[in-house]
Amino acid sequence: MKRYDLIVVGAGPAGLSAAIEAARCGMKVAVFDENAKPGGQLFKQIHKFFGSKEHQAKIRGYKIGETLLAEADEAGVEVFLNATVAGIYLDKEVLVQIGEAMTHFKADTIIISTGAAENMVTFDGWTLPGVIGAGAAQTMMNLHGIKPGQRVLMLGSGNVGLVVSFQLMQAGCEVVALVDAAPRIGGYGVHAAKIARCGVPFYLSHTITKADGTDCVTGVTIAEFDEHFAPIPGTQKHFDVDTICLAVGLSPMSQLLKMAGCTMVDDPKRGGQVPLVSENGETSIPGLFAAGDVSGIEEASSAMIGGRMSGLAAAAYLGFLSESDKEKRLADLEVALNSLHQGMFAPGSKGKTVAKTDEGIAVSQSLLKKGYLEDTDLERFVHRSNQTDKNSGIHPVIECTQNIPCNPCQDACTKGCIKVGKTITALPQIDDASSCTGCGMCIAACSGQAIFLVDEDYAPGFASITLPYEFLPLPQKGEQGTALSRSGQPLGIAEIIDVRNAKAFDHTPLVTIKVPAGQAMTARFYQPTTQAMEQ
Amino acid sequence: MKSINDRSRNIGSFVSQLDDTIIICRCEEITKGEIRQAIHDGMFTVNEIRRYLRAGMGLCQGQTCGKLVKYLIARELGVIPDQLDPATSRSPMRPVEMKVLGNEEVTHV
Ligand SMILES: Cc1cc2nc3c(=O)[nH]c(=O)nc-3n(C[C@H](O)[C@H](O)[C@H](O)COP(=O)(O)OP(=O)(O)OC[C@H]3O[C@@H](n4cnc5c(N)ncnc54)[C@H](O)[C@@H]3O)c2cc1C
Ligand code: SF4
Ligand code: SF4
Repeated sequence: MKRYDLIVVGAGPAGLSAAIEAARCGMKVAVFDENAKPGGQLFKQIHKFFGSKEHQAKIRGYKIGETLLAEADEAGVEVFLNATVAGIYLDKEVLVQIGEAMTHFKADTIIISTGAAENMVTFDGWTLPGVIGAGAAQTMMNLHGIKPGQRVLMLGSGNVGLVVSFQLMQAGCEVVALVDAAPRIGGYGVHAAKIARCGVPFYLSHTITKADGTDCVTGVTIAEFDEHFAPIPGTQKHFDVDTICLAVGLSPMSQLLKMAGCTMVDDPKRGGQVPLVSENGETSIPGLFAAGDVSGIEEASSAMIGGRMSGLAAAAYLGFLSESDKEKRLADLEVALNSLHQGMFAPGSKGKTVAKTDEGIAVSQSLLKKGYLEDTDLERFVHRSNQTDKNSGIHPVIECTQNIPCNPCQDACTKGCIKVGKTITALPQIDDASSCTGCGMCIAACSGQAIFLVDEDYAPGFASITLPYEFLPLPQKGEQGTALSRSGQPLGIAEIIDVRNAKAFDHTPLVTIKVPAGQAMTARFYQPTTQAMEQ
Repeated sequence: MKSINDRSRNIGSFVSQLDDTIIICRCEEITKGEIRQAIHDGMFTVNEIRRYLRAGMGLCQGQTCGKLVKYLIARELGVIPDQLDPATSRSPMRPVEMKVLGNEEVTHV
């Protein structure tokens, strides 16, 4: 039986981060993951992350995974892939299935970071092929390059449902609707707005009543329901789809912790059965830790910090790190973790309705119900910079109206046009004293694709709008298509006057369209003519 | 003693529902009606339902239906789901072929 100082189960962001910290303290560390690729959820996340620089904001998920792997490698961590931990026993012994054999390993400390599994909901026809989890759809598209279907209905408007809907469209699928039983969109408004401006409708207080088909999904019926959860007659809507995606939450995969004998609690706020843990992830069993989604569903950014904390705590437990060094380093990590736990979407705010932003501005109800800002919301949020570049009238317009933990826009602008300030959940503000050069770095850095460059005086009677465009094929300069509003309504002809795809934009091409001056504050997306004809 | 183990609790008689034919445990193909009937037969815990019907004992080991079964029991008993214990977790936590499980690599150190 092979021995280690620390065994980590699960090579997601939490597990890898824990392993890196522990190995850097001099521990001999093994990480087991049942997947063929390490990185956990990160390897399917092709979108840019929120947070601040220290949380790896604006970096795409899979890139963060690659960085963690390289760091783990450098620190001397041994990563075993296709290695399923099947059991955990007394005295920190684990049973691992590697290939056709079961092998025992032993350690003096163990960190469980097995992540979470997707929840399901049942309705008539839910077992038909074509009903899949949103995470499964993401795996098919982003890991295996397979389109899950042609026409998709998404159930669940949390960040997972929103992010995966956008990625489905990027993969070339048509998303016919986003449906949620809640009366409000659960995820970030900026994620919802990206989908709404492509013309996808949101149906809230709705749920699926039936999936049609005999051998596979051929359609779906949704209905609005009343307070007793009974469908309201006459509200049924039918869609022809071949795929129904479920993004209805995650449950911690905490079986190993339970098997080990840790004290468990059922905490709906953390996603279900979770171990009772200290702030450093130590369970009721000394030397056994839990980190990441397995001890409460959150985000990769917090999973990485939680992982680092438990890695350090494990090192201190075995004497690889002095108590005073441990305290010092944990305190720093706690500050980083707290900065993520602020704002409207903080774990403590779950389920609460927020009427005003921290700045005291009434939140956009339209954004919460329909996924886009109404023209009447713009007055309150979208601040027109007075001072623009001397040679051009270009200025940024930021449509980020909720207190989310995010600030890469601030760092992106070297001219100092954008300020978020110390509290990363504050709304970004445009600084009138600085002048914008139209470089576009802010657009590309914005994880929420919520920044646009507008020039009302582009040409007599015409305005130019520069927007992020992460779709293929890229439009060509000179091409004409349709300008779409925030709700995806066609506004009229838009001409492509510039397409920029610099390396620094990290695969977020910037497309500049020319539209009638009156649409400067309404046109927010571009639809190529071919796509409009297909529909 | 958890209130759930109170076997004298009167939960009324089984009344069939329109969607009783919906499958809850897809691995073992157990329907909502079968699970609700089992509760009325006296199976008040997730573990008992498992042993009685095999719901949650298939390929995915309850990963998909675990929560659904728990919610069904809670609703039928009129309690909140958090009060119910989840199913016991034991090794192997993923389905393993017997020939692999028997193929233990024993090295003595
Ligand atoms: C669609 C989607 C979008 C998201 N977007 C963001 C975002 O923008 N920003 C953000 O911060 N977070 C985001 N998240 C959340 C983030 O991905 C997760 O919170 C994070 O990955 C949790 O990390 P983890 O290490 O706890 O678990 P995971 O990443 O799930 O890793 C767990 C690992 O454990 C392995 N494992 C499990 N059981 C065993 C076993 N018995 N034996 C061996 N190995 C095992 C698994 O194979 C897996 O690799 C998103 C999640 C989803 C689904
Ligand atoms: S376009 Fe460039 S200069 Fe203008 S606000 Fe954005 S980053 Fe700053
Ligand atoms: S505008 Fe700034 S704070 Fe808002 S989503 Fe974009 S990068 Fe984040």
